[in-house]
Amino acid sequence: MKKKLLAVLLSASMLLSLTACGGSTEQAAAPAQDAATEEVVPAEEAAAPAEEAAAPAEETAEPITLRMAWWGSQERHDRTVKVIEMYEAENPNVDIEYEFYSFDDYFTKLKTLVASDQVWDVFQLGGNFPEYMDKIYFMNEFIDSGVVNTEKISDAYLKITQDTAGNQIGLSNGLNTYGIAYDVDMFNAAGVPLPTSTWTWDDYADAARKIAEATGHYGSSCFANNDEFIAGCSTFIGQQGTVGQYGFFNLELTDLGFDDPNMLVPYIQMRADLIKEGASPDAGAAMEVTNIENDFLVTGEAAMAWIAVNQFPTIYDICKAEGRNLALATIPRATADGPAGSVIQSSQMLCVSQDSEHKEAAAAFISWFQNSTDCNSVLQGERGIPINSDVLATLKGNASEGQQIMYDYVDLVGTFETPEKINVLSPAGQDLVVDQYNTYMHQVAAGELTAEDAAQKTFDAAKDIFAQ
Amino acid sequence: MKNTLATTKSYSFKKFMNSNNTVGHIFAAPFIFGFICFSLIPILTSFYYSFTDYSLGSKEAVFVGIRNFAKLLTDEVFVKSLVVTLKYVFISVPLKLAFALFVAFLLTRKSRLVTVYRSLYYVPSLVGGSIAVALVWKQLFARKGLFNAVLTDMGLGTINWFGDETLALYPLILMSVWQFGSSMIIFAAGLKEIPVSYYEAAKIDGANGFQTFFKITLPCLSPIILYNLVMQTISAFMAFTQAFVITKGGPNNGTMMYALYVYNQAFKYNDMGYACAMSWVMLVVMSIITLVIFKTSKMWVFSEAGD
Repeated sequence: MKKKLLAVLLSASMLLSLTACGGSTEQAAAPAQDAATEEVVPAEEAAAPAEEAAAPAEETAEPITLRMAWWGSQERHDRTVKVIEMYEAENPNVDIEYEFYSFDDYFTKLKTLVASDQVWDVFQLGGNFPEYMDKIYFMNEFIDSGVVNTEKISDAYLKITQDTAGNQIGLSNGLNTYGIAYDVDMFNAAGVPLPTSTWTWDDYADAARKIAEATGHYGSSCFANNDEFIAGCSTFIGQQGTVGQYGFFNLELTDLGFDDPNMLVPYIQMRADLIKEGASPDAGAAMEVTNIENDFLVTGEAAMAWIAVNQFPTIYDICKAEGRNLALATIPRATADGPAGSVIQSSQMLCVSQDSEHKEAAAAFISWFQNSTDCNSVLQGERGIPINSDVLATLKGNASEGQQIMYDYVDLVGTFETPEKINVLSPAGQDLVVDQYNTYMHQVAAGELTAEDAAQKTFDAAKDIFAQ
Repeated sequence: MKNTLATTKSYSFKKFMNSNNTVGHIFAAPFIFGFICFSLIPILTSFYYSFTDYSLGSKEAVFVGIRNFAKLLTDEVFVKSLVVTLKYVFISVPLKLAFALFVAFLLTRKSRLVTVYRSLYYVPSLVGGSIAVALVWKQLFARKGLFNAVLTDMGLGTINWFGDETLALYPLILMSVWQFGSSMIIFAAGLKEIPVSYYEAAKIDGANGFQTFFKITLPCLSPIILYNLVMQTISAFMAFTQAFVITKGGPNNGTMMYALYVYNQAFKYNDMGYACAMSWVMLVVMSIITLVIFKTSKMWVFSEAGD
């Protein structure tokens, strides 16, 4: 009897756990359902649209709930929450439910919301927006009707978040470009000359090695998240040949922008060597960096870090408080007289969602977010250099030291010769290539692959995106 | 006439409501509902999706036949994740069971504090699956974490736990072993079931501690060991949190657990069809291993009925 009972128990529990496994991929989709329950109160849905046009200003307007989400660092979360509260105080009828995530988690969540047609009313997107095109509600009609104020935003800045057909995909949160943040004292201590605006990747590698030798710290920090890929593949390819000759992807985003996998070899070899020699963090150490605020440069364990310059003021202040001195250098070039490869682009943008019940209210919020001087005095350009000229003037007027370095740097990059047209977008499917690329690079560092094989494999993986 | 019909009707309804079958079904209804909606339907849909190119963003799934399964054969990361997961299962499960049995055995002695100890040892299992513990683990084994600090103080130099592909899996295994509580509770219950008279008889015959353990405790406990073995094997195959939080599968995919790779394919690389196909392959692998355990169990599971 006992045995029988046990057998039944066993098979029952096995069935349960087996089914739990089979269903696991589906289970993870469940969070999307949470969003459904948070849906807007049904009663006002039918009545609202007509009045929304005037809504933000009117106290008596129907209550509106907007859902908003973004990714970023703690600094950004704090500042954004503060401005949301400001907006709610100015517009008592608007209630904003916000969520924030790290970069990876944000896109995981977004994908589940896309699947369930529950994308946040206001959401943040970067250069990877083509994948989410179906979910973006173009802002043209709101600009025409004046809900979105573009008076102080130049056409050039509006254009950076338009598609080729002239549809306004979103409003840019600010301009941005990449740079190398470095610790001046560590350079001096190791007796390494400071970077110039035409330094090369060889200079960079030399500096990293010498600093690692002299100080025992990393010469250069890891390139977090996707940035190794952007630095290595996108930028390095763009630096080859003449200005605008090559890009990792072509302008139409229909194929790769170069034919020779060997073009990637020098960069992969250089990075793998630095990792192998301990001048740059290995995969395990890189896992310890979860955002810019605990990057090895900030913790004092590395002399250089690849950053998006909007992150600079934050880390500058942190280091300043510890008596350390950071500066910004341009991205190293392939050859001293070759193309810079860096380009000023939209850091990210806020978009209105197709799924939104209150598209107009969402657009009004975005307009306020980019145009209000009060709001941006709190945000302090943490997402990028503001595109509204008044706002920029105000911010520049009382810029902190770190911000001033950032503004100067962007001005400097603005003087570089750039191609007429450039593609800073990423196609759907790039995430897989990024992960594969990182794995190959670490395999080169571990001696399992040659840099040539890694380059070829990366090239093939990227080609695969367009094969289907 | 009418009257009698009504009475019979209400009588039969009452009888119907009071029958064991009806009561049973009503009480089981919530579970059946949950099972159908949250297990059965997703399972069947995932089976269908495994033959399509479905992704989370797309609204329709195009039938692609066995393309997803064929792709598995050429996927290096898939093969690696399978190897890593098998390694994880074969090392962590026996260790965990041995440890659980050991602690359960210690806690059978008659002491007033036994329940307190049992609860204490059970705590890691309660919090085990949580992100918080995984984060703590990550800190403990970090380059400048507690373990390396201790090693340095002992003059042994630091170990690069998560930077070395061959080492990175072991902290994860250790974390799983540490969560031995639920197996321990079951073992403890099993140990109590063994009649004291066996031990008394053995004592009179002059058996020592080792002999009583291997000749009485282990055989009497073997059905429970089988149960724990199967349960823990299955849950080890599904391990996800540690790898997701601590290593993200790195370095060089050295901790790319199967479940994590399924997750990545589904949510990061946006290939739900492929992820579903992988899930079904895992189901087959797990079924085979479970079957092997059951088949071989005849050789080592002792049953009192004596067949």
